[in-house]
Amino acid sequence: MARLEVLNPVAKTVEHSVKPAARLTTLQGVTLGLYWNMKAGGDAALDRTEALLHEKFPQVKFRRYIGSVGWLMRHCTAEDADRIASEVDAVVGTTAD
Amino acid sequence: MVELERRGVPTVLFTAQTFVHDAQRSAASFGLAGLPLAVVPLPFTNQKPEAVHRMAEGAFDQVVAGLTQTVDVRPGAQPPRLEDRFAYDGDDLLDAWTLMRADFLRRGWSDGFPLVPPTPRAVEALLRGTTRSPGDIVATLEPGFGIATIEKLAINAVMAGCGPEHLPLLLTAVRCLAEPKMYIRNKAMSTGPHAPLVLVNGPKGRVADVNAGMCALGPGAPSASNTVLGRALRLVMMNVGHTYVGVSDMETIGSPLKYACCCAENEAESPWEPYHVTRGFAKDASTVTVHFVYGICELHDFRSTAPEDLVGVFATAATNVAQVGTGLWLIGRRADPRTKTEEREHNTLFICPEHAQIFARAGWGRREIQEALYRAARLPFKTMMLNKEPKALAVAHPELAWLADHPDLPLPVVEDPGCFDIAVVGAAAGRGAYFYGAGEPVTLPVED
Repeated sequence: MARLEVLNPVAKTVEHSVKPAARLTTLQGVTLGLYWNMKAGGDAALDRTEALLHEKFPQVKFRRYIGSVGWLMRHCTAEDADRIASEVDAVVGTTAD
Repeated sequence: MVELERRGVPTVLFTAQTFVHDAQRSAASFGLAGLPLAVVPLPFTNQKPEAVHRMAEGAFDQVVAGLTQTVDVRPGAQPPRLEDRFAYDGDDLLDAWTLMRADFLRRGWSDGFPLVPPTPRAVEALLRGTTRSPGDIVATLEPGFGIATIEKLAINAVMAGCGPEHLPLLLTAVRCLAEPKMYIRNKAMSTGPHAPLVLVNGPKGRVADVNAGMCALGPGAPSASNTVLGRALRLVMMNVGHTYVGVSDMETIGSPLKYACCCAENEAESPWEPYHVTRGFAKDASTVTVHFVYGICELHDFRSTAPEDLVGVFATAATNVAQVGTGLWLIGRRADPRTKTEEREHNTLFICPEHAQIFARAGWGRREIQEALYRAARLPFKTMMLNKEPKALAVAHPELAWLADHPDLPLPVVEDPGCFDIAVVGAAAGRGAYFYGAGEPVTLPVED
């Protein structure tokens, strides 16, 4: 018999913790953000989602967002996130994949 | 989405079935396991609007639920802590090694080639390549926020086949990966074939026997150091940065460049100052440059004897619009939203010594080549936009809306001439290499 002892190559990780936001009790009357990162097709998904939400919750208002930085994909900066958080009650997002 | 949740905004994210694991791991690494998803069968890309609409309709109930139902934060979703060392018992050491390799493969810790066993003795020997302590932290590597200690880097270096002489170069390459401007998260997690091209300059590359000449990118015995260094960086991305295929590395096809892509500049046969001098370092400094690249195109020309003719050939490689970076400046810049670092899309040219001499004999340096290539490598606006989102152009460059009325206007494929990085690499015969880059290279000095 032979024993081969080796060291673990996997690094420990820095742990982050974020508490999820409280969910809405209803979508009726709220303002929803529709966030698109500009990857192809994501806008079409949000178009249809907006239409469906409007059918089911006629009082819902919508605001459209894209990130302020990026290229193929546009991302939200901290300032973007602050602004969105101040303007809407919830967000539906698509990154297209 | 996690940043919005942090601000008290409930979110739900459309995600294709294939990317569910990736989205969950990504959200967990940012601190919110269980981020609500609306799962659709396919990515929205390359779908007609009506097909996307049908998928959105199918996921509508999930959208509503994601915003209104309590989030399952799944406290147990994090992988369990593992022991620091493992033992494999076999009939003999070869048998035990076979068990180790199979176990490491099963755990996803291997690049697929046989791994050198990272025994405590082998790791201790490798650590002689640095003056730093095993517990010193070199960086935190995304996308998994892995803590890159000297010891973990050494363990992966042993597995790749490195010796102590390679360790300072590897540590420098890892520091390059962790630079904010590198935006490694984007390159590690993409569906694109981002491979770290590692270019070594200066005396420490020669000490480590990094090949700059014949078959510098391998394979073969002269490039053994190149191979193990490049391989070690990939293993570090996996086991330290937690870039694992199907978990966080969602690449569509993959690339052989991702196994190892490393060489030195052939400073001895270059008619110009070394590449790292153009990056602001002293000539006698040792540096490592990492530039993520998508792919490679040969720069073959046995006929040309004039610089203009060579540039004409090189420009044909640069005008490949199927390559994502070509003309990408039209729709913005690669940017990390956290640090707001922006990258222009660079491409790296390895010019062979014979071609370099043709340029030099005519009095051309790098700058002349860059400017000539910038003028020659142009495509009509309509061709450049074939695979780009028109709305992204409108957002990134509203001042260029007039281009829509000039579809045949030739435009440069990069933002400015400096987006062509040039190094002299290789041996005899007129064959260079054009690397389609992803963002900007990062160069750092080698430290022991």
